[in-house]
Amino acid sequence: MAGVLLSAWLGGCATPQTQALLAAHSRPMQQRAELVSVPFYPQEIHQCGPASLAMALNAAGAKATPQELAAQVYLPGREGSLQVEMLAATRRNGLLAYELAPKLDDLLAEVADGAPVVVLQNLALSWYPVWHYAVVVGYDLDRGEIFLRSGREQRQVLPFATFEHTWERAGYWAMLALPPGRVPRSATEAAYVSAAIALEKAGQPKSAEAAYAATLDRWPRNLAARIGMGNTAYIRGDLSRAERAFRQAALDHPDSAIAFNNLAQTLADRQLYAEALTAANRAVALAGPELAAARETLEQIRKKVP
Amino acid sequence: MNPSFMRVTSRFLIASMLLGLPLQSAHAGLVATERAAMSAQSQPDRERIRAFLDREDVRHEMLTRGVDGEAAKARVDALTDGEVQKVAGRLDQMPAGGDVVGVLLFIFLVLLVTDILGFTKVFPFTRTIK
Repeated sequence: MAGVLLSAWLGGCATPQTQALLAAHSRPMQQRAELVSVPFYPQEIHQCGPASLAMALNAAGAKATPQELAAQVYLPGREGSLQVEMLAATRRNGLLAYELAPKLDDLLAEVADGAPVVVLQNLALSWYPVWHYAVVVGYDLDRGEIFLRSGREQRQVLPFATFEHTWERAGYWAMLALPPGRVPRSATEAAYVSAAIALEKAGQPKSAEAAYAATLDRWPRNLAARIGMGNTAYIRGDLSRAERAFRQAALDHPDSAIAFNNLAQTLADRQLYAEALTAANRAVALAGPELAAARETLEQIRKKVP
Repeated sequence: MNPSFMRVTSRFLIASMLLGLPLQSAHAGLVATERAAMSAQSQPDRERIRAFLDREDVRHEMLTRGVDGEAAKARVDALTDGEVQKVAGRLDQMPAGGDVVGVLLFIFLVLLVTDILGFTKVFPFTRTIK
């Protein structure tokens, strides 16, 4: 899709985000930031993806070298790495991958907050794209400059406008790799909880649980995070912890069939059949899109009742 | 890389969507976390998309391109929860400020509607009205 958008759109030379940012009278963010401690891996030929990812992952505390990551994200046939694989590899290494909104001020705010940002750029033109991953590690609003670890340059300095052009041509794609307990400053509730769910689906229940807990710290009423707390505890075999989470979910969200269904299943696994039946009946009574699952749970529990 | 990069990306996304959405938890009896995220968010999202299509500037833009706003809204009602989330997510990702019906926003909208009407097939989540 982005390809279609880009080819249809390019032609203008405006950099609206840069202009808005530099024209703003009251800038809410720091004037200047630079994350000097982010490591630098000069990229091998075509391997900007693995190199950029390694820098971001190392900065977030994960041990991974570009060589190891190349096996996970680099497609030799395409001489590059897909964005989805960059996200997936981040999760496989136990970190939370968060895609930023396409806003320059959000991106800079995250850098000011201490998180290097992996960006995709199109260094050439829409009809002759040269895709490139780099890591934003700093900026200076007064000078209108952005600092990147890019290719073989440890500290590339680009004017905001140039950066915005190259970033815009790649669909303003940017991601963070974060320790799972940390919520980005610009995070939205829905996007953050989706990132946590992706971590759970990537087979990282422990990391996902930390991300769900962080979600609930910021947004205590989030149903998915509460269910996620229970599901990850269940996956790890900690049934009493799962039960606690599902009880809390049912308490906070008395209309959630999922909360009662999962509570019923957990109680049944703990052989608390009477209470499990009550919860399962409640889940069926609430109906909704999970009715089939709730009925199945109820039936299975009925079979088990001695 | 070359332009087919995007095509591969969208194929990958379609595949992961098809594989991802209906996936239940691997553990029998438990409903997967993502199902909870969907039901919680789809209603406000649906409202947001409808409100967006209702806006005077958006209606005007669609009308001048010969797109019936009511047909587009009817289609929103028929989207599944997952599809609604994807559309609403697109709305969220639009750069804020400035000209509201910006070029990107406009192209997105036209492609969304033309997808729905079956002229194009850009978004993996649209289904054509027959």
